[in-house]
Amino acid sequence: MSEEKKLTEQESLQLIADMIKKAKGSYHDTGIGSLLWGSVVSIASFVTYLQSVYKFSIGFDIWFIVVAAIVPQIWIAAREKKHTRAKQYDDDTVNAVWLVFGITIFGLSFYQAVIPDATTRLIHSHGWELIKRYTDGSKPEEIVKPFAPSFYSIYLLLYAFPTLVTGIVKKFRPMVVGALLSYIMFIISCFTATNYDMLLGAFTAIVCWFIPGIILRRKYLAGRAAANV
Amino acid sequence: MSLLIGVKEADFTFIREKTNATAGNLSVQVQKLRDAGYIDVVKQFKDNYPQTTCKITPGGIKAFEAYVKTLQEYLKTGT
Repeated sequence: MSEEKKLTEQESLQLIADMIKKAKGSYHDTGIGSLLWGSVVSIASFVTYLQSVYKFSIGFDIWFIVVAAIVPQIWIAAREKKHTRAKQYDDDTVNAVWLVFGITIFGLSFYQAVIPDATTRLIHSHGWELIKRYTDGSKPEEIVKPFAPSFYSIYLLLYAFPTLVTGIVKKFRPMVVGALLSYIMFIISCFTATNYDMLLGAFTAIVCWFIPGIILRRKYLAGRAAANV
Repeated sequence: MSLLIGVKEADFTFIREKTNATAGNLSVQVQKLRDAGYIDVVKQFKDNYPQTTCKITPGGIKAFEAYVKTLQEYLKTGT
């Protein structure tokens, strides 16, 4: 058995620093979750945009694929938990942020689905309704349902939140960049027609999640290949 | 110990990969640290494979901090 090399004090401290860096360094994620949500949200946003611009319908609400994606997400989370080899101190925090984000998105969707009819009933009970009047008189007045203008802008703002937190905490720059781009898309969406908000949303999902997912996946597969050598 | 300071817990294969130690060598070190009360070791089965998870204890953190402080003071005095 070979003798252990005696380290100097300087070398010992350097080794300690290197080990701590190695332990905390890489963001241990397979990237599958990011790829899943990046794909699903960008596809749903893009199809919604196409449907509104080219005036066609695919026969069902494309956003159901987002709800359906919860099933594989649960399976992915369970599988990753099983195969995790090290748990970072900030893992629980980051996971909590994504969980709260998911609940908030669900809450926003619930708001969007419920509020127009609920508001209509409320204003009718007070004896008034919303009317759309054409300023040039080209068409007759129409009764409209209450709506929040440019509502998808709020989703763009929200998409940035867990992405930026994860990027900062895990020191994962692609997600920081994705989140900053999401904020820019949010600002642009405040000045564009609602049609374009969906296109901006598709772009946001790609930069916030899909591209970082590809980067994470490549790192993960490279790490696995190196470990198997 | 440096590795376990940086994570909440880690399994044996992770520690072996990061330290480039052999399984035998690492087992001996883990046992020594466990006997000294510096780490907790949990052994369980996952998918019929044994899995050993290590986690630093509060006593281990204290001992590690004291060790690092000693190293730093030694370097400061230049002796």
